[in-house]
Amino acid sequence: MRGRLWRSAAAVLVLSMLLGGCSSRQVTLTDPERDPWEAYNRKIHAFNTGFDNAIFRPVAKGYDAIMPDAPQRGVRNFFRNLAFPVTLLNSLLQGNMERAFTSTGRFMMNSTIGLLGFFDVATKVGIPRYNEDFGQTLAVWGWKESRYLVMPFLGPYTARDLLGRSFYGYFHPISYAMREHDLYWPLVTDLITLRAELLPLQPDIDAANDPYVLIRDVYLQNRQFEIYNGDPPAPDYEALLEEY
Amino acid sequence: MKTIRIASVISFILLTAVAWAHAADERDPVTIVQDTNSHIFQTLENRREEFAADPEQLRAVVREDLLPLIDLRYSARLILGKAGRGVSPEQLEAFSEAMSSVLINRYADGLLQFRSDEQVEVLPMKGKNNEKLTRVRTRIRLENGGFAPVDYAFRMTEEGWKAFDVTVEGISYVITFRNQIAPRVETEGIDKVTADITAGNVRIDD
Repeated sequence: MRGRLWRSAAAVLVLSMLLGGCSSRQVTLTDPERDPWEAYNRKIHAFNTGFDNAIFRPVAKGYDAIMPDAPQRGVRNFFRNLAFPVTLLNSLLQGNMERAFTSTGRFMMNSTIGLLGFFDVATKVGIPRYNEDFGQTLAVWGWKESRYLVMPFLGPYTARDLLGRSFYGYFHPISYAMREHDLYWPLVTDLITLRAELLPLQPDIDAANDPYVLIRDVYLQNRQFEIYNGDPPAPDYEALLEEY
Repeated sequence: MKTIRIASVISFILLTAVAWAHAADERDPVTIVQDTNSHIFQTLENRREEFAADPEQLRAVVREDLLPLIDLRYSARLILGKAGRGVSPEQLEAFSEAMSSVLINRYADGLLQFRSDEQVEVLPMKGKNNEKLTRVRTRIRLENGGFAPVDYAFRMTEEGWKAFDVTVEGISYVITFRNQIAPRVETEGIDKVTADITAGNVRIDD
């Protein structure tokens, strides 16, 4: 984990030096409270978009074109099922026994009847899928607000969720395979299939007035939704109106 | 004799109309969502083939059902924020009209994929809802057995409860659209933005 963090930190440093030379328009902060690092974030976002346009998305598109829908869903199911240890541990850390039990039942069912997770039989019979990670646990433990942070290659994060992600490595089978066995194809496959799943959103991102802000808004709102297990506090609508 | 019959028919119509209008005023948000859903899905079920051939008809039906339930002006004001300074009532009207058309059309086009209203579950009210603002939570069953959470924000107006925001998986239409559109209104002016929305040059994200 330390090695990986180090490498990410080095990558950030190199990138900021590279990008530092680029001319950038003066950015007035669009969300000073949650995104005070907007100037830096926009540069990384631009880099990520370039990488996505040149390599990531074309590969995902190719995969999407070759692979029929059914096996494509199967592969996604397989990877989602693998996240079970992370969800179980974090449900327990958050004191949510109901989620811990449900997730265990779901994992056992999908891993057996669902043939190693390729078939999501649990969803078919009405067992909900929960997604708990360390970032959410930190939020439940009190770190409610965290700054938005765009990472090279990895995309949207908050400082809290990035820290959570670094723990994640210890408990996720994919990271385990990479750490202990130098197996990289599970991670690569996971990322490509995930990107393929997100392809339908592309027209909305392309048509957005400000794609950076759109991705940030969607990420932060959805994150809030996950932290509060589907029932986040309502936005302060009156405050939006007061500016009127 | 004939006039009496006509008079009684007219008074009957008036009475039911008044009773209906009155009932509409007093319905609570959960009932509004339930009633609207079942009416739309019932109509969809009855006229499915007609709608599949001509989606414009479904759009019209949905518009008729939904428009009286939405506080368009409030939504528009939330979206514009301070960009709405100096906007005339007519401009606000046109803007909210353009926005709602795009949203309603997208919703109507998506409806055809659904089979019956059994796929939409309206959850009972919970949590702290004050008397002016509340949230109705619904779950849309998906084909694979999972569900998508769709919530509606309602506020109390002089004409009863009206919806003004939709939230899909925690992503609010008002918040998200506001951050896309308000900066454009500030630089390009509201008339240009309204025209662009109507022309389909601005996508509204769900």
